[in-house]
Amino acid sequence: MIPLRRAGPVAVLVILAIAPFLTANPFYQRIAALVVLAAISASAWNVIGGYAGQISFGHSIYFGIGAYASLLLFGRFGLPPIAGAPLGIIASFVVSLIIGPPTFRLRGHYFSMGTFAIAALAEILIVNWKFAGGAIGLMGPAMPRSLADLLFRNSLPYYAIFLAVLALLLALTHLMQRSRMGFYLRAIGAGERAAESLGVPVQRYKLYALLISGAFTALAGSLYAVMIGFVDPESGFGILISVNMVVIAALGGVGTLFGPLVGAIILVPLQETTNALLGGSGTGAAYVAYGLIIMLIARFSPGGLAELWPLINRHGRRRAA
Amino acid sequence: MLLEAQGIVKAFGSFRAVDQANLVVAENELIGLIGPNGAGKSTFFNCLAGDTRPTSGTIRFRGQEITRLSPDRHARLGLARTFQVPIVFAGMTVRENVMVGALLRHPHRRRAADEADELLHFTGLAERAEMPVTALGTPGRKRVEIARALATEPRLLLLDEALAGLTSSEVEAAIELVERIHARGVTLIVVEHIMEVIHRLTERVLVFHQGRVIAEGTPAEVTADPTVIAAYLGRRRGRAQ
Repeated sequence: MIPLRRAGPVAVLVILAIAPFLTANPFYQRIAALVVLAAISASAWNVIGGYAGQISFGHSIYFGIGAYASLLLFGRFGLPPIAGAPLGIIASFVVSLIIGPPTFRLRGHYFSMGTFAIAALAEILIVNWKFAGGAIGLMGPAMPRSLADLLFRNSLPYYAIFLAVLALLLALTHLMQRSRMGFYLRAIGAGERAAESLGVPVQRYKLYALLISGAFTALAGSLYAVMIGFVDPESGFGILISVNMVVIAALGGVGTLFGPLVGAIILVPLQETTNALLGGSGTGAAYVAYGLIIMLIARFSPGGLAELWPLINRHGRRRAA
Repeated sequence: MLLEAQGIVKAFGSFRAVDQANLVVAENELIGLIGPNGAGKSTFFNCLAGDTRPTSGTIRFRGQEITRLSPDRHARLGLARTFQVPIVFAGMTVRENVMVGALLRHPHRRRAADEADELLHFTGLAERAEMPVTALGTPGRKRVEIARALATEPRLLLLDEALAGLTSSEVEAAIELVERIHARGVTLIVVEHIMEVIHRLTERVLVFHQGRVIAEGTPAEVTADPTVIAAYLGRRRGRAQ
């Protein structure tokens, strides 16, 4: 049983490592890169939203900060966009320290609504910030000046970079899961009052989780900007960015290591193909499907697909009576 | 003195849920808090645990003032509690629930797991260690809460109606468990409804009524006290006179 459980994740990673190289179709290769990118941000969201159970709808702030940091450094100072990644991560720490403590006083739905409001506010601020391109947004380099610009015609190099970041994030999450922090976050998510009574400094651990979660989401934003070479308030700070992370994690299974990755593998291709089929006017179509998916998860499998796994795979294991 | 609570008042607007309650607990005592529903014993209990901040009064634990410290600081100092309605960590196994408590003193997972196993054995949950905690019924969950609280290695354990809602055979097992916890050297304060349990377990009882401590003494003394009888049975007899 145990080797089998180890084999699963390893197999997933091997398949991921070779998958896009099996096709020469640039459309599929691009989707593969976007799947891994979405898996990074959803896995980052999962640290605070899944393990600690604090359902943030404000993570678009972090994504936007990362994306804007990259293209601002390029646009204003001529630096390669990837140089914005560390800047975005530092900025994400500052944001976490500012918005974390007040919003953590809110519980349950109120926390979600509070973070949602802050994210909506951030988008409006960016629209009105001329230095950052206002409503028009920012462009990346049109032609690569050097390798440091990370500008490739093909999506495969992006795929490789994203996969390395995802592997790092999942490795860290795995370590966290097994450490005191992992136990404490899950305890906080399951019952804050009881966790406190057992000596868990709840507010402090929520902040730790938000710092990690926000930093990796900002990194995802920077990587997005590097690959796409363009960001505007909607594609950086739009509320749908947050919704995406939540829905992807929820579909795969919140608070599980591989849940967000599974969610991304299912949802991103769906989104990209509907966009391609319906054109620019059809960008909303995927969100109609999202609504349906949210209803189905809530009704039949609140733990996401991860909840169904044990039923299918571990038939030998005791299902609690 | 292990714990000293003086002049505890908890007011909600003009209503005083706890009104000038005092309690002194010595090392190794086993004290009962009783009283009718709404008497203020749970509120008082929450003040002691740090869950509720008293409006006025001071609480000292092992000589240190703890009145305004957060619940997690209480746990760190050695004051643990259980809840009237058990709050278990869904999504975790029974062992993992207890490990959350053990991690306070043993930050390493392995050590915490060993500590948890010892307490699961002590509380009779060893065979259910691998089960999801939500598979347990109320009696099992109450035991998980006790094991989890003990895992924080408390000097003083507050049990909030740990025996409520149990069948008589379960009560028997729970009484025996409380006695064994006491024998481990843990000082206990138990909030309880069932008089029989109080009689069998405790040496000293405080009776709450309308936010005040109306009697204090051995179980036999307080149950013979006319003010206690009036509080429990109402004042009809008094009015008739």
